[in-house]
Amino acid sequence: MKLKKINVFSKDELEQIHSASLELLQEVGIKVDSDKARATLRKNGAEVRDDSLFVKFSESLIKEKLKSIPDSFTLHGPNGTYKVTIDVKHSEFATIGTPVKIYDPEHKKGVRKTVMADTINQIRIVDSLEHVVCSHIDVWPNDIKYTALHAHCIYQWVKNTKKPYGLGCLGRLASQDMMNLVSMIVGGDNELINRPRLVGFMNPTSPLHLPQIMTNGFEVFAKYKQPTIIAPEALAGTSSPVTLAGLLAQTNAEILGSAVLSQMYNPGAPIFYGTVSHITDMRTGNSAMGSIEMGLITAGIAQLARHYNIPSRGPGCGSDSKLLDMQNGYERLQTLMLAAQAGVNYITCAGTYEATLVEALELLIIDDDLIGMVKRAMEGITVNDETIGIEVIKKVATTKQKGVNFLAEKHTKNHMKKELYFPKLSDRNRRSTWYKKGAKAIIQRAQEKVNDILETYKVNDIPKELDQQLLQYIGQVEARTFDEYKKAEDLMVKSITLPDGIEIKDKD
Amino acid sequence: MSIEDKMKNLVVEWDEDGLKELCSSLLNDNQSSPEHLLQIIGNVMKFIGDQFENEEIFLPDLIGSANVVKAVIDDVLDPAIREKGGVKSTLGKVVIGTVESDVHSIGKDLVASFLFSNGFEVFNLGVEVTAEEFINKAEEVGADIIGMSSLLTMSMDFQRQVIEELNNRGLREKYKVIVGGAPTSEEWAQKIGADAWADDAIEAVSMIKRIIETKS
Repeated sequence: MKLKKINVFSKDELEQIHSASLELLQEVGIKVDSDKARATLRKNGAEVRDDSLFVKFSESLIKEKLKSIPDSFTLHGPNGTYKVTIDVKHSEFATIGTPVKIYDPEHKKGVRKTVMADTINQIRIVDSLEHVVCSHIDVWPNDIKYTALHAHCIYQWVKNTKKPYGLGCLGRLASQDMMNLVSMIVGGDNELINRPRLVGFMNPTSPLHLPQIMTNGFEVFAKYKQPTIIAPEALAGTSSPVTLAGLLAQTNAEILGSAVLSQMYNPGAPIFYGTVSHITDMRTGNSAMGSIEMGLITAGIAQLARHYNIPSRGPGCGSDSKLLDMQNGYERLQTLMLAAQAGVNYITCAGTYEATLVEALELLIIDDDLIGMVKRAMEGITVNDETIGIEVIKKVATTKQKGVNFLAEKHTKNHMKKELYFPKLSDRNRRSTWYKKGAKAIIQRAQEKVNDILETYKVNDIPKELDQQLLQYIGQVEARTFDEYKKAEDLMVKSITLPDGIEIKDKD
Repeated sequence: MSIEDKMKNLVVEWDEDGLKELCSSLLNDNQSSPEHLLQIIGNVMKFIGDQFENEEIFLPDLIGSANVVKAVIDDVLDPAIREKGGVKSTLGKVVIGTVESDVHSIGKDLVASFLFSNGFEVFNLGVEVTAEEFINKAEEVGADIIGMSSLLTMSMDFQRQVIEELNNRGLREKYKVIVGGAPTSEEWAQKIGADAWADDAIEAVSMIKRIIETKS
């Protein structure tokens, strides 16, 4: 049988968490910055008081709105040839993070700032991987103006992959740009809505807060039915109670409130019930993404998502290490394996380390191999007459000729590829052979694969006319002033600190 | 589909009966000669050996295919050549086995399959092969090379005993002796008076090719 999914709550405990979340939603509510979102919530039956930004949700409203959330959806690549279905039963794997630096052994610090060329390389590598199904705008193009980078990234996406793409709900204006650009690429809004290309990303701010810009973008993603991840990043001990049960009750309320809003925007809009929550390191105050507790939190979220019958998203391949070292290795596998065993349906963060702040293309290659191993583990042991193979055991054991083994048996040939995972990078040679092959460490072997992929990569052909249309649109985005951006988001302030900590402000 | 492709598919699928049937019918209908079929089979085995070396296929694929091809050569093509009074052309004849008191066969089988897929005629004597058996077989088939494997430090010394027995019988100069296996080394090979040592199957093949060239 396949490996059983880990449950971290008993039925009663799950009910207790659910009740606590309902109590929070009913008695405290969620602070919603956006006037427009509050108006939508009020119109659809939530309790909104004029003197407060907090919106309260009744149990019946929550129950009613959760009904229209789909339990599966299919993501498509730019030209529609590649597709992947996300549902509540299987696990798929993707990237996601906010790497602003990239591994660079040539650099004296071992890392350097990321630029658009790195973003493109990451998309290309993901395109070539077997198990990673979607790249997200995780490698931050620091050399591109913040208010235009979504447009540039979409342009690079259509040119460099057959897989779908993920972007943050970076505000109303930027999200609408994304939809307009992808609509041009795929041949219209209907095609985009019916066969979604993008994964949105929406972070409620813990505790119990929906920030303005992301909520604005969330509305656009919901209207175009592009599946959107709702993933609070609560840190146990700082932005949530230190107890994992407390963190889960609080973030469950944040996710449910956001999920209800998504269905008010557009009934049937697909979402991921997500998490990127982890713990605060009590020595340094830093977040600890490679912690074993993050695995437990993720498992709790997966179980809650199953309870609500919504596809779940959680991080795997998480590490706090600053190096491509053993800590990096054990943390990424431990979080990946726990997420898979917990039954998370969309497991992310491949290729990242240092709490997803740094990317290594080499790790993408390694993670793809780790995912292959984890997928094999999840298959468990298949037991039937054919896999027990009693006949072949009898045959080999009683062969008169000495030294006969199972290697050249048809049973081996027929089953080996399904039964055994063939690692792409692990070295299993004898030491002498390993020496002969250059005595390379795994990072070096992964680096060679990265180079191979990038050297032979062929950019997608897109029609000239479309190319010009896209470039023209990007030009318009580039030309916008910061004031226009602020107006579109109903913000008239000198600077904005985005949920991911990046501050943007006027040049003058 | 060409004869080459048909044969390649049968070898890859380990369809021994199918390959025998195809070869027999081609010979019976005078559509091909055993020499020509041997040549095709040689190309097929070269293809499979290359795939293995490039890590495109795996150990069972290589050894299983080699077993199928060997059975077809022994049962169909060799008799056909002998019937015509011909002699099979080969790169050289290798008698190979794991030495006395040692039952490890995988490495040695890999070397045998690799040699076979590179055009050598291979006599794989299996495991726990005594000095007597090695030498008798080499004498019987007119071997060029005796290859000995050992995976245990405890069994290594039997490699020396085979060489001593060759010396005792005055046959040492008649054969080139190559040894291998995890506990052995180049120094060990020199110490016991072997002609060569190889670390793995790929090296064993190139080493034996070199030895055969110097021999002739």
